[in-house]
Amino acid sequence: MPAARTINLDHPLLASNQAAAAHNREHLDARRILTVNIMGAPGAGKTALLEATIARWSRPETIAVIEGDQATRRDSDRIGAAGARALQVETGLGCHLDALQIHRAIHDLDPPAGSIVFVENVGNLVCPALFDLGERVRVVMTAPTEGADKPLKYPPMFRAADIVVLNKCDLLPHVPFDFEQWTEFVHSVNSRARIVLTSALTGEGIDEWISELARRRDELRAESAR
Amino acid sequence: MHELSIAQDLLARVEESVDSPQARVLRVTVEIGSAAGIVAQSLRFAFEVIARGTRAEGAELRIVALPARSRCLGCGILFEFDGLIGKCPACGRLGGDLVSGNEMILRSIEVADV
Repeated sequence: MPAARTINLDHPLLASNQAAAAHNREHLDARRILTVNIMGAPGAGKTALLEATIARWSRPETIAVIEGDQATRRDSDRIGAAGARALQVETGLGCHLDALQIHRAIHDLDPPAGSIVFVENVGNLVCPALFDLGERVRVVMTAPTEGADKPLKYPPMFRAADIVVLNKCDLLPHVPFDFEQWTEFVHSVNSRARIVLTSALTGEGIDEWISELARRRDELRAESAR
Repeated sequence: MHELSIAQDLLARVEESVDSPQARVLRVTVEIGSAAGIVAQSLRFAFEVIARGTRAEGAELRIVALPARSRCLGCGILFEFDGLIGKCPACGRLGGDLVSGNEMILRSIEVADV
């Protein structure tokens, strides 16, 4: 058998996803479309927060939502009923959305300049952290029922976040959840994360959440005006 | 389970890096940062399965783990660690700002003509 030879390489893996994400980001930023990738465990309240956001948004028709789930169109039906446009991506065996799926979804949705696109990622605290979609803002949602230690158990996910939303904050008085400790854990893996408390059920904190988004939308507009 | 997506990307890079039509891939070496969130065993399993029927079938996947580095938010020192999250050896504080440890790099392939 002929001698084996070694070919030295230096290929970053997932470079094709990174390239697609960069393309998405360029396209979306140029059109001043604020894209928000919402990640979190199943049941954290991602869809409920989006429903509450749509209900409070001044022009809900300027919101589009890309819904990622393993199966069913239930979430996109809920978003549609709330008054925004929705596109369901069924990932099948996939445990996360990737930048190419978002690329196709953006072309199908064709969101107008200056609008907002939410991506509701597949409910999962592990896999979506590794896949840049070309979003402007990364949000990780968690809830007191999940326990205060989740930032330490899922560091890549919490490290990826621009905003960490603690949803179901109306439950804080009723469940054993050490809020101080949780805050410390979030900042121990991600010192720059902004923390926002919401309750999609009671509406508490939704105004603050919306003003966080509006602030980032204004930053994007100011950047593209330069 | 994201290891399957990474294995697919890896296999595509390996196949386009093979330098002759007669070559078979004997060994693939990747470097993975310890904070990247990749389970080596899952990546190896996924690669083995999807490489069947390709020129990389049966190739050994060698995974070199790179240590991660964080800067402590308490005392500011830079320290190395293995795993997803570290603890400052000087002041004992958990976490810190991750400086490196997310690497996922195809470093080399070993091929032979058959």
